[in-house]
Amino acid sequence: MMKRLSGLVVVLTVLLAASSALASVPGELLIWVDSERFPVMQEVGAQFEEEYGIPVRVQEMPFGDIRDNLGVVAPTGEGPDIIIGAHDWLGQLVTDGLLMEIDIADESLFLESSLDAFTWEGKRYAIPYAIEAIGLFYNKALVGETPPDSFEELITIGEKLKEQGKYALVMPQPDPYHTYPFFSALGGYVFAEDEDGVLDPLNVGLANEGAVKGFKLFERLLDEGIMARATAYDTMMSLFQNGDAAFMITGPWAFGDVRSAGVDYGFTRVPSIEGQYGRPFVGAQGFMLSAFTENEVLANIFLNEFIATKDTMLAIYEQDPRPTAFLPAAEIINEDPDMRGVTEAAEYGVPMPAIPAMNAVWTAWSDALELVINGQSTPEEAIKDAVEQIVATIKESM
Amino acid sequence: MRGLSVKRLFYGLGLAILNVAVIWCAIYLWGVQSYGLLALLLLGALALNALFIFPGGYPYRYLAPAAVFMILLVIYPIVYTVYVALTNYGTGNILTKEQVIQQFENRYVLDPDAGNYTFRVYENAHSDRIFLFTAPDGRLLLGRSGELEDVTGRDEADVIPPGYSELERRDVIRLSTELSALTFEYEEEYQLRMRSASAFALYIKQYSYDAGRDELVDLISGVVYKPVNGAFEAPDGTRLTPGFRIVVGLRNFQRLFGNPQITGPFVRVFLWTITWALLSVGTTFAVGLFLALLLNDPHLRFRRLYRSLLILPYAVPAFISALIWQGLYHTEFGVINRALEFLFDTRVPWLQDPFYAKVALVILNLWLGFPYMMIVCLGALQSINSEMYEAALVDGATTWQQFRYVTLPLLMVSVAPLLVSSFSFNFNNFSVIYLLTRGRPPIPGAQTPAGHTDILISYTYRLAFESGRGVDYGLASAVTLIIFLITGTITFINFRFTGALEDVRENV
Repeated sequence: MMKRLSGLVVVLTVLLAASSALASVPGELLIWVDSERFPVMQEVGAQFEEEYGIPVRVQEMPFGDIRDNLGVVAPTGEGPDIIIGAHDWLGQLVTDGLLMEIDIADESLFLESSLDAFTWEGKRYAIPYAIEAIGLFYNKALVGETPPDSFEELITIGEKLKEQGKYALVMPQPDPYHTYPFFSALGGYVFAEDEDGVLDPLNVGLANEGAVKGFKLFERLLDEGIMARATAYDTMMSLFQNGDAAFMITGPWAFGDVRSAGVDYGFTRVPSIEGQYGRPFVGAQGFMLSAFTENEVLANIFLNEFIATKDTMLAIYEQDPRPTAFLPAAEIINEDPDMRGVTEAAEYGVPMPAIPAMNAVWTAWSDALELVINGQSTPEEAIKDAVEQIVATIKESM
Repeated sequence: MRGLSVKRLFYGLGLAILNVAVIWCAIYLWGVQSYGLLALLLLGALALNALFIFPGGYPYRYLAPAAVFMILLVIYPIVYTVYVALTNYGTGNILTKEQVIQQFENRYVLDPDAGNYTFRVYENAHSDRIFLFTAPDGRLLLGRSGELEDVTGRDEADVIPPGYSELERRDVIRLSTELSALTFEYEEEYQLRMRSASAFALYIKQYSYDAGRDELVDLISGVVYKPVNGAFEAPDGTRLTPGFRIVVGLRNFQRLFGNPQITGPFVRVFLWTITWALLSVGTTFAVGLFLALLLNDPHLRFRRLYRSLLILPYAVPAFISALIWQGLYHTEFGVINRALEFLFDTRVPWLQDPFYAKVALVILNLWLGFPYMMIVCLGALQSINSEMYEAALVDGATTWQQFRYVTLPLLMVSVAPLLVSSFSFNFNNFSVIYLLTRGRPPIPGAQTPAGHTDILISYTYRLAFESGRGVDYGLASAVTLIIFLITGTITFINFRFTGALEDVRENV
């Protein structure tokens, strides 16, 4: 709600300022980026301007606001040419008619999963720069150098840790995103996909046999005291940082916090269930093109020749270390074991569905997790109800 | 006389500056075709000018700024919300029909098998440009004012007229937006368009809009799309994205009332909303008043220190406090439960149990809200004449009687309207609910996304932003209007019932 309000504020400001300096102008580039990418983009923009005499203006705004502001501002003709964003915005932005297809000059430069994440109905919508996927952090001081490969092993380790008054595992709860590997390991899925990669929003596979099995394991970990119950992200983090938990399931955004706490840690993929590895959601970030740009070709040249370069990608990495989607830079970046770990975890992942119907999925799914975490419902019941609710909600709005 | 003319000059100058600003904005609004806002602006400016020019408008001058802001910040949003409630505005339908048609008209499909046409550009002193293309099959094509000519086998110096010189790559990129506007017809159906800094490519125009028949034709497949319910639809029901914004009349309201998925939890949510608002006002007022009475006692030492400390919760942003409280309430690791465990050997499922989640919310809101009530009551207590207490003392009234028959009634005169507005505020207190419980705990087996602690406004949020199609502003605006009607009615009845406004007026 606050976001929508701030959108209104943007409109008013734009109207009051009545300033053409904020709009996409033929022969000039306007780029919206978040604070982490801002310095790099300013530098690249200045280089481009110096070399070609094309003014490049880089505007900084909070990452999440970029999506909302684009929807408010672009249709009025005041928007940017290029934005930075996450792949899961794609569904909304494309159905809203706010994005333009990007003509990627050389697709072999990018990690395939990152290109897939930014593909919508067969078209590419971004030059990806980073990917992310969740995995297992382990505290080497507590469990040694070799992480468990399966949940069975993890439970065995957990029994010993319990005697010391420690938890084996922590993860954010209730959090469908982090819990997805439990559902996907034995065949659960969010939406069924046809051969062309188009998702069917009425075929939800979160309550199928495999998904329920994984969900039951989740419940068992809670009931046996292997996994801490109802931990929000911050609580989870402090348990792991203080050595009160040996394993933590989360993603690359946690590296900074774990390092600063001085934990001797490793990062690997989420353990297997009955020999099958869970498939985490893969996310990607990239540069997208506004449908209202006045500089389609120019922006494509800028992205293909100035952003998709080793120098720019390394600079982006140095500013905010994330596993890269750009293969020529991967060799250097993946020397860092953390980055390599995430890249490997992502290889087994599936792109997080980007269709707008996901909004309805997160809510109901999260409720199902919470009911099980609170011990107010069984996994079968909770997830079956959730799927019914998801399908009903999606049907209602079709 | 002299003073008057200086004043007039001052007014005149101010009015002139204002009018210049208005004209500037008006030109801009005209430019972006925002005629509604333009009319509003001009009317407003006209009215303001009239106030200053005609002597009869004198008293209204002082009301004018308030009126302007009222229109801008209250009335305009309300009108706009009513308008949105009557449209299908939301994910997939945010553009206008014209914008959508324009997007489809500009959609070109790259012919993937045709390959790239590398090019060189030549320019003369008048900025006339000639292109020389090398086709994938090796042919040489000369492109000039939209026409292509096969010049295979001829020499470059032979085809390029004198006076033209080749543009460097640097200039090609600099001029790429201009150059990309130049396209060449190629064998009827194709267009040769700029693709990158070094190549053109063949594209096929995909859609054409027939304004007379209001149809969109797919030029490749021949399918005809007609606008149905805010999107172009093929005879087989396929709908093209993006869709566009249309007025749908009362359909959002029909969805709201005709759908058991939505109406089902409405009564339950409504009752909890009322309970929540009443409890919030009641508890914060009781504690605030109690503390105010203590702090008002002249015998109390360090009063100023206490007062400053007690205002602190009010000074800390609610967003931060709510997150801290979320940690305090944690069933296993929270400080509150650890203390309870230590003292009474018991744990309370604060955020998991429906009842305790509600208690937790009321406690949090009490923490956030009592300083406001305390400040208000302190102010009101100061204004009560001390002679009243002396008289009461002479009559032999006990402390309780003093409070009950002197303090409270006199306090209520000034505080009652604030209690009513506090009720309305808490009725819509989205942030506290959303930050602490997000409307949870969920209800087992529920067919709707409403949780135990959802109030109307947080439920609206779920309907609007967690819907099956993404974001649904139209539906959200419809619910907002209904909430507005409910709060409006309650507030109105409250004011009439307490007579709050009348009393204040008598006291002034």
